[in-house]
Amino acid sequence: MLDYIIDLVIIGVSIGMVYGLVALGISLIYSGLDIVHFAHGEIYMFGAFIGLTLFQKLALPYVPTLILAIILTGLLGMFIERVFYRRLTSGGGGYTVAGMAMVVSGFGMSILLQNIAFLIWGPKALPFPVPHGMPIEFGDLALPMSYVWIIGTALVLMVVLNLVLKKTMIGLAMRAVAYNKDIAYLSGINVPLMISLTFGVACALGAAAGVLIGPINYVQVQMGVGILVKAFAAAVVGGFGSLPGAVLGGVLVGVVESLGAGFISGTYKDVYAFVLLIIVLMVRPAGLLGVSIKMKA
Amino acid sequence: MAIRKWALLAAPLLALAATPAKAQDGVIRIGVTLRMVVENGLKYGQMVKDEFEAVNAAGGINGHKIEIQLLDDECKPDKGVSNVNRFIHQTQVDLIIGSTCSSVSMPMVDIVTKEEIPLVIPQSTNQDLTKKGSPWVYRVPVSERFYAAVHAKWLAENVGKKVAYLVTTDTAGIGFAKQYQVYMKKTYSVDPVIEVQAQETDLDFRAALLKIKSMNPDVLAIGGQADAIARVSQQSYEVGIPSRVRRVAASAASNAPVPELGGDSVKGLIYAAAFNCNDERPEAKAFVKLTQTKYGVRCPDHDFSQAYDTVKIVTQALKTANLKLTAGSHAADRMAIRDAMANVKDFHGLASGPISFCAAPTPQCRDGNRTGILVEYTKGGKDYDTKLLARVTFDADFGL
Repeated sequence: MLDYIIDLVIIGVSIGMVYGLVALGISLIYSGLDIVHFAHGEIYMFGAFIGLTLFQKLALPYVPTLILAIILTGLLGMFIERVFYRRLTSGGGGYTVAGMAMVVSGFGMSILLQNIAFLIWGPKALPFPVPHGMPIEFGDLALPMSYVWIIGTALVLMVVLNLVLKKTMIGLAMRAVAYNKDIAYLSGINVPLMISLTFGVACALGAAAGVLIGPINYVQVQMGVGILVKAFAAAVVGGFGSLPGAVLGGVLVGVVESLGAGFISGTYKDVYAFVLLIIVLMVRPAGLLGVSIKMKA
Repeated sequence: MAIRKWALLAAPLLALAATPAKAQDGVIRIGVTLRMVVENGLKYGQMVKDEFEAVNAAGGINGHKIEIQLLDDECKPDKGVSNVNRFIHQTQVDLIIGSTCSSVSMPMVDIVTKEEIPLVIPQSTNQDLTKKGSPWVYRVPVSERFYAAVHAKWLAENVGKKVAYLVTTDTAGIGFAKQYQVYMKKTYSVDPVIEVQAQETDLDFRAALLKIKSMNPDVLAIGGQADAIARVSQQSYEVGIPSRVRRVAASAASNAPVPELGGDSVKGLIYAAAFNCNDERPEAKAFVKLTQTKYGVRCPDHDFSQAYDTVKIVTQALKTANLKLTAGSHAADRMAIRDAMANVKDFHGLASGPISFCAAPTPQCRDGNRTGILVEYTKGGKDYDTKLLARVTFDADFGL
């Protein structure tokens, strides 16, 4: 029985890290701009396709592929923010008109990106065969190395991001913009650039998730739809806007799903994630690591 | 001034929207809705169009040209319904062909029955489609009531009767599991070892598979669309379900993405289908050559062959239908096509068996193909290969 529980927890943690990685980007956008970006699943999909193209067409090794896909998708995110979202992101977030318009625009952008990806890469699900080596074996359970990469990268990205935000001038500027745009302007910070940067970094995180998940979950146009819901649940459970919270939330959602599927029924897997979400919101409305009172720009 | 400009621009658009397409100008209009959001779908959709255009190039149907409106329903019921309404109310088609997914075909049956338009189903397998008793519906593919028995009997006799089911929430996947269970209960009085239902979009089935592993089944039955089948197949090995547990999947396993995505994990996976690209018949070889040269498909699955057979059957029926195609003959023409379809007997195409229809609105009359084949993947990956395990033909009322 103990072996069975351990196996379920390992499975839960490995898939939970995937949710957490996508949730990191969602959380960063929320903490920085006070908006919820509903096209983040498609950014993750774009990142995966960019990674796959680099890996197959340019025959790059996996690590350079991952880094280049992160950079290119980050730039794509900055472009999208600059061209399509700028008037909304500088207009404010939350319950403002611009904040609500951003939600609607996010849905529109999601459809647009799906169709662009459809035209570029076609409708077929594509395998992303990365020779990561033999899976790690826990008794009968074989954990593919892709999951180890996901766990490692998610932790590294979370730590690096925290350090950048807390220990660097750019991080300080990004936090200042997140706190209050007007005061940030008056302090001489290039607010539009910081907004673009925040958006770009969040999209880069999405790309990292896409490239890391590619070898496990084939790359296809609609891959962003399913994961977005779980990532939102993870972000909310962990505390919307908290980066360590996003990863913690992801792991919790993954483990609860896995234990529920193992002990009750796999049929209600999604229910367990949302029951957890409801319980956390009832007990701690700001999420596990969320900050309950925070002034937003 | 600006308002006038807009009004001038909008007027012709409004007029265009308000005017229905010309319905009775001597042209036979056919609406085709398929799942074309997958790459193969785009190709077999194009093939359907090309084959009807070839009929036009050869002089049409008794001098009448065929006009095809081909739309993608993305395997989504709401899109399918919207496409069918467009065919009926805008294009005013004489016949509808569709769809690939049972979940899309299901509401389509209700609409065509109400609107009295013949519907030829080219690929959907859910048995309820013809059980609804619509006089307007014909099904070219093998119903799942036959498919289930093909693999259930073979597995029970050659592998074992302890079956664990992992099924995603699409109509075909659920139907596959239900029919398999019904057959096992009826024939061997055996209940499922375990049944798990999952979302089609799930990334991870390992927790459910781990539970299935603990039940020690003989067979793992996987219901769902191609991506899910490939994923479950792969993950079943990751959780340590041994290869002696035979994997069997719904007929969507015949789609090329399953071996291409699943790689080595699909080796030994079996499925029931209506066509195998290693078929040695001359007509099958010619068809495989056609898909290779014209559409770049090395090994066409039964979605391709059934789409092709559907065009040939419809063409044959249209030739025998007494069509007027005049301003007042729309309803009569649709009825004539419906009745001509009922006269299709012993059509020998690419399918695993002959296809016959008759007039009664029952599954016995409207499930055209009653022969299923059992196929096994012998190799996964891009250069996948298969072998034929069995071929079974059933009585018309089997499984009802």
